[in-house]
Amino acid sequence: MQPLLRRIGVIAKNTFREAVRDRILYNLVLFALLIIAGAILLGELTDGQEARTIVNLGLAAMLFFGAFIAVLVGVGLVSKEIEKRTIYAIFAKPVTRSEFIVGKFLGLAVTLAVNVVVMGVGVSLALLYVGGHDLAWSIWPAVFLIFMELTVVTAVAILFSSFSSPALSALLTFFVFLIGHFSTSLREVAQGLGSSGAKFFFDAIYFLLPNLSHFSFATNASHGDVPPWTMLLGSSAYAIVFDIVLVAITVLIFRRRNFK
Amino acid sequence: MTRTGKLRESLPILCLVAAGLISAAFLTAYIERTKPPLPEGFGDDDLSMQGARLKGFAFGMEGLLADWYWIRTLQYVGDKLVNTKLEVLDLEDLRPLNPRLVEPYLRNSTDLDPHFMAPYSYGAIVLPSIDKQKAIELTQKGIANNPDAWRLYQYLGYIFWKLGRYEEASEAYSRGAQVPGAAKFLNLMAAAMKSKGGSRETAQAIYRQMYEEGDDTNIKYAALLRWQQLMALDEMEVIDATLAEFREKRGRCPSTLREIVPMLNTARLPDDRDFHLNNNGDLADPRGDAYQLNSSCKVELNAASPLPKS
Repeated sequence: MQPLLRRIGVIAKNTFREAVRDRILYNLVLFALLIIAGAILLGELTDGQEARTIVNLGLAAMLFFGAFIAVLVGVGLVSKEIEKRTIYAIFAKPVTRSEFIVGKFLGLAVTLAVNVVVMGVGVSLALLYVGGHDLAWSIWPAVFLIFMELTVVTAVAILFSSFSSPALSALLTFFVFLIGHFSTSLREVAQGLGSSGAKFFFDAIYFLLPNLSHFSFATNASHGDVPPWTMLLGSSAYAIVFDIVLVAITVLIFRRRNFK
Repeated sequence: MTRTGKLRESLPILCLVAAGLISAAFLTAYIERTKPPLPEGFGDDDLSMQGARLKGFAFGMEGLLADWYWIRTLQYVGDKLVNTKLEVLDLEDLRPLNPRLVEPYLRNSTDLDPHFMAPYSYGAIVLPSIDKQKAIELTQKGIANNPDAWRLYQYLGYIFWKLGRYEEASEAYSRGAQVPGAAKFLNLMAAAMKSKGGSRETAQAIYRQMYEEGDDTNIKYAALLRWQQLMALDEMEVIDATLAEFREKRGRCPSTLREIVPMLNTARLPDDRDFHLNNNGDLADPRGDAYQLNSSCKVELNAASPLPKS
């Protein structure tokens, strides 16, 4: 068991290193600039509502920057190894295909965790600067939920990249991200249409695809609300279940893949 | 290749890039000059979607969209005020500015985030001068979404008071007073509305409370101006009476208001307030701007004073 975890750990560590070498963390500079500019300018624009707007802006930027990284890096994780033929060197060692996929997923998850934590610290500092001391602490559960959502997006990206080209994988992952957020509303719209076909279709989407609205708490967080433990646990469990399911499917596909 | 050689080789390209950028800047200026202007009403076109329809399609960031509509409201009203061609602007009636998008913006903002208090507060203060019924509806919507926010009952009472509907104002203040943690003055206001709703004293109490207890800088400032305006009206009434007395005794109008300052020492103002002189020794309004004596021997506010003139 221990060597298995060690091997996965090595792949994850290398995936993280690779992301750092690819200057993925540079996005943090852009994020920092956005938040600093926001903190300075919003006081003028929002008439005293700058703390709330920094939370909304910061969490939205965190989600979209994170999703951007998850999609763009996630779809390249496997294909890059195949393209550069480094995958042969990896599999020449005692590493199984499933360990490789799990390691890659965890490596990107760690990269995203670092991103999200640094961005969260940036938002908290901006809030302290504008006097939103309570919000500086209360946003963290919402930040955690964003991270959990990003792990699901990562798993989706890796799944598509296991059988498709990077461009198509990115597009498909983006669609899942969109539908994942809209599925509840689309389902409600379909209920109102009265068409049984539409209802069945949107019900299928609602239950089969990850429902990413389960992780949305930004608007509440801007009021200083903290999600109840039950919601945090439920959403975390939901993310972990979907991560496991998606990574398992990826492993299944990847095991059958011929690299010749 | 030497460094000089490399530079020499790159120079034409660098020159081309620089020339291109300069030409682009000139072309931009040219296009902006020659481009036909948009119709005058363009800035007033409602290009926004309905806030309620965006719900569920905002990636969980409805709050951010609510902020956007809030910022748009402030900019929209600010633009209207800055760009107005009206010489006199009556703050009690902003309809000549045609600010028809204020209510939809505020509605969108509060549809997207029903607990966002700033749009309700702003709507309660600004909307009555545009559309009184919409102001009541927005504040009532705020109360329905935030029944524990006593300040919204205060705003509703304020709107009804402005409309002269003192019974409804009293009821709004009473309901607000029942909210746990509500300010004590709500009970006093409820009683004052019934007994002397239309008096200047009540008006002063309302604006004073809004100023002292408010948490929104915009509203506090607007309330302060109104409160000081009402205090100035009290003072100007006494000054006019003193000017009449002076004229009766001396058969002429004083050359400046300084002449009547000794007579004002015995005059009484509500709440035992005193008249005050500014740094130049002139009789001044509550903000420190000197009162002016007009040709009819009546006192008036200084033209430079920010106090509302109506």
